[in-house]
Amino acid sequence: MVENNLVMRVNNLKIQFFTSKGVVYAVDDVSFSLKKGETLGLVGESGCGKTTAVLGLMKNIPKPGKIISGSVEIDGKNILSLSETEMREKIRWTKISMVFQGAMNCLTPVYTIGKQMMETLQEHKEMTYLEARKKIINYLHLVGLSEDVIRRYPHELSGGMKQRVVIATALFLEPKIVICDEPTTALDVVVQAQIINLLKELKKKLSLSVIFITHDLATEAEVADRLMVMYAGKLVEIGLNQHIYGNSKFYHPYTRKLIQATPRLHEKVSELSFIPGIPPDLINLPAGCRFHPRCSEIIERCKKEEPPLIEVEKEHWIACWRIVNE
Amino acid sequence: MYWRYCLKRIIYGLVTFVILIFIFSALFNTTMEKTLRAQIEEEIRAETLKMDTRMSPEEITHFIAERRAFKQHLYHLDKPLWHRIVWRAINVLSLNFGKATIMKSSAGESDVWGIIAECLPRTILLFTTAICINIILGLWLGLKKAQKAGGLMDKTTSIGTMLVYGMPSWWLGMLVIMFFAYKLRLFPSGSLHSIPPPSGFAYYIDLLYHMTLPVLTLVAIGFWGSSYLIRNIVLSILQEDYIMATRTRGIPERKVLYGHAMRTAAPPIVTMALLSLLASVGGNIIFEGIFSWPGLGNLYWISIEQNDIPVLMGNLFVTTALYLAGLVILDLIYGFLDPRIKVGGRQ
Amino acid sequence: MRWDDIKEGFRNFWQEFKSIKFGLFGLFLLFIFVIAVFINAYIVPFPEASKRWRDITYWEDNPVSAPPMWINYFSSMKRAPSSIISEYSLSEEKKGNLTLKKVVFEYKYLYDYPPIDIIFHCQIEGSPVIILSIERPDGKVVTLTKRAISKIDIRTLRISIGNDARAESYNFGIKFENPQQNRIERELIKPIQILFAEAKEGILVNPSFLKGTYKIIADIILPGLKDQVTDPSLFISGSVSGWLGTDSAKRDIWSGIIAGVKWALLIGLLTAFTSVSIGVIFGVVSAYLGGWQDSLMQRIFEIFVGVPLLPVLIVMSAIFRPNIWTMIIMMSCFFWVGPVKTVRSIGLQIKEETYIEAAKAFGASSSRIIFKHMIPLLIPYSFASMALYVPSAIIYEASISLLGLGDATIVTWGQILHDALRGGAVINGLWWWVIPPGLLIALMGMTFAFIGFAMDKILHPKLRTR
Repeated sequence: MVENNLVMRVNNLKIQFFTSKGVVYAVDDVSFSLKKGETLGLVGESGCGKTTAVLGLMKNIPKPGKIISGSVEIDGKNILSLSETEMREKIRWTKISMVFQGAMNCLTPVYTIGKQMMETLQEHKEMTYLEARKKIINYLHLVGLSEDVIRRYPHELSGGMKQRVVIATALFLEPKIVICDEPTTALDVVVQAQIINLLKELKKKLSLSVIFITHDLATEAEVADRLMVMYAGKLVEIGLNQHIYGNSKFYHPYTRKLIQATPRLHEKVSELSFIPGIPPDLINLPAGCRFHPRCSEIIERCKKEEPPLIEVEKEHWIACWRIVNE
Repeated sequence: MYWRYCLKRIIYGLVTFVILIFIFSALFNTTMEKTLRAQIEEEIRAETLKMDTRMSPEEITHFIAERRAFKQHLYHLDKPLWHRIVWRAINVLSLNFGKATIMKSSAGESDVWGIIAECLPRTILLFTTAICINIILGLWLGLKKAQKAGGLMDKTTSIGTMLVYGMPSWWLGMLVIMFFAYKLRLFPSGSLHSIPPPSGFAYYIDLLYHMTLPVLTLVAIGFWGSSYLIRNIVLSILQEDYIMATRTRGIPERKVLYGHAMRTAAPPIVTMALLSLLASVGGNIIFEGIFSWPGLGNLYWISIEQNDIPVLMGNLFVTTALYLAGLVILDLIYGFLDPRIKVGGRQ
Repeated sequence: MRWDDIKEGFRNFWQEFKSIKFGLFGLFLLFIFVIAVFINAYIVPFPEASKRWRDITYWEDNPVSAPPMWINYFSSMKRAPSSIISEYSLSEEKKGNLTLKKVVFEYKYLYDYPPIDIIFHCQIEGSPVIILSIERPDGKVVTLTKRAISKIDIRTLRISIGNDARAESYNFGIKFENPQQNRIERELIKPIQILFAEAKEGILVNPSFLKGTYKIIADIILPGLKDQVTDPSLFISGSVSGWLGTDSAKRDIWSGIIAGVKWALLIGLLTAFTSVSIGVIFGVVSAYLGGWQDSLMQRIFEIFVGVPLLPVLIVMSAIFRPNIWTMIIMMSCFFWVGPVKTVRSIGLQIKEETYIEAAKAFGASSSRIIFKHMIPLLIPYSFASMALYVPSAIIYEASISLLGLGDATIVTWGQILHDALRGGAVINGLWWWVIPPGLLIALMGMTFAFIGFAMDKILHPKLRTR
């Protein structure tokens, strides 16, 4: 059933990688929905499956990965059932687009910015050269860049400029859903603030629905309306901003630890708190709850069974046995 | 930016060449001088014979001594060592290689440069043809392998590459001649063209006919290596983030591969192509000999056999010049194709 | 870097290497080559091939340009192969001071085509008289030659029936020919063919061959007590010979090929090791020193790079006529440029690592930093490079030898090919002369290619395909 203000619903998405060392359970039974106009945050440690999950939304999993099961519904249709060609022509970039990490090597070094933007535009929309050019310049201005960026090669731009280009490229086809994958991670704080403000502005102006991925909880607190926490390929908590950052009595141990690990300026600490242990090997996962080897609040059940996501209060879901007991 | 880069490279190349010429001149000085002296004696003897035989023995001896001193002075043999080396080097740089001891060009001249100049285009013809075919085949196969990396074709052709890695091209040439030219009598066993060479259009057909076996042999050995290298270059590019990003943007695979990937691969591929051309300079010498292809390589054979040192030296100088020119051109083309060099850094 | 770390490194490396099948195959081939070097003397009929390659007396008894033995399996006409008959039956008769010895060799001839020659060897003391004759399966006996040794200083006797029994075989054969119909010149006949032919018309022109057991009999007359004949042996110089046939100088090619293995390995490994070592050290030092020293070293490097290797090697060999060691040195002088660029860029990266800075801060000397910290990281790359340089070195040496400029005191595969080319092997289709040396160069190249590429695969996981 499609609710009116949902732009996307993901059901039981499973993605695995078949490597010579074994099967990697990268994304294991992930379900969530995205409301129109909201910013949904996705947090987790490096390697927990965030990027893989969102690439899966666009059916862009590189070999040796495969989408095993699950569906992604947009406008009532499961886009995962579409062919590659349909995916490319109708979904990618037109319905969902992605803002990559700007410092990432995400622009082809041998083509000018203009050529790459033009190519993307013309691939999806019938336009004359002049119309396309006008649109590109518009969006470049929108993100705060001058139009002679068009003639430049990627290596001639700074990290912040490249990030803006990536944002412009993600937006100019006016997709409904924009996924931002760590857009500010490699930038210095000043530029970071600029980019975040820019994103907020654009979101309002263009009524975007955004999935905002980061491992930086502070940034997430600022931008996200709702948050999802991912650990070892599974969602362990979904909640509103105030549930996660406020003092809700329900919490997932991992999320709590993540928040505690963020140092605060006004607090005096003699020792930084951290989460002991290391993230699990996604090939050989621990039995039961995936977090239990590092959790300080485990009960017997945690070692044996995987906890499902349970709604503990409105719009707040947690996957933890301890909560169930209470 | 680019022009500055070009200029730098060209100057480096020239300087290197000059230094090498001086080194060669010094290294081979003794031998070259020995030959020179022998040549001088020859000339004097010829002159003496042509002369008036009525002169007395003392006069003849005097004459010979006088001529010898004159010629030695002419060729700077009476000057100190370093002077001689420098003088010889300068000669070489001005393309004055002297006279051949025994050999003659087909026009009957014994000017070394003339002999060499004749052979040069033939070598270029043969090897550029082979390299072009190599690259084309290499691109086609290499791309296929990169696309289906790890697949059957990839694995089998990788084995093929390793099989021919240690195979001398000239040995394969010997086999090919033995089989196709002598046993089956399908193709000529070598040379540029039949004797007498046909005229007009048939001349070119005849030339192609003679080129078939050598080119086929070169390609048979060469294209494995080039396809393997191209496969590696393209494969490593396909794993880059921007390829994934381009695909995510909805660009069709065809454009991703032949546009983005290939364009990024162009500089290293071109480098590799030219480098393999240069690297094959060695093997080609023998190769030409086997096929009696009258190019620069074959000239080495002949000049060694006939012990014609001036031709050998001249050939060495020309080969070095070509080699260095190749290296410089390679850098220039690479710089042109890679915008990071062509356009330079941040503005 | 402690010894344990190195051992650990090797163990890890070996773990990965084991999984690459063709790498293991390459190692296996290398192993076979090395074994071949050690058992050289046992697997070839002519163990001193390397030292006596140009000594014609060593090869005297072989046929000229004979194909290998095993082609008999592929043709309907079986040709008699070379063999040595050292067994004989001996009978003696004494008549006072005179001794009559009879040595009988049995030769089972079951082929369609007879040998090229039969050669009798023995040791002599004094002045005996030796009469050679042959008894055919059809009972006919032909006296081949009578030798009275008069010179006291001949110690070894060699009688070649094919050359020394011409008149006798002619006289034997002519008896069966019709003089009107077939006039044959004595000089044109092949004595062995007549002796092994059926005794009927056409024996001199178009013989069909008689199979059976032939007895070659040496009647020895020892006139006095001081005369002695010992160690008789019979060498059948077949129309096919050896595992890989013979060349135009009667040399057994199989012996030459096996003798060449050690030279190929030596040249390849030594050149590769020396040049890669120089190159890696040069690159690392250049990267470490930086500044004007780096630039200077790079300029020197560029000069060496500008040298077209084979032409220079050829000219240097033509003029200076080097031996194998000088050639290895010459090649190393130019091969070292190969790894430098890559090594330098890796070196530059390592230099930026903080532990290098830390080492400097502790006061570690430059050489300590270079050799203890930087070079060990490059060892895997060095080995991969070395493996891949070996085939090049071998081919360069083969090319120089092919031109006739190689070291004449040893046998290398390149030299065999040189002789093949000169000896008209290509024109005359003597494939057993042309194919094996080149094939082995290719095989050894392939071996090192397998090993090197396997190492390369481990070092560049990006190019791995699952």
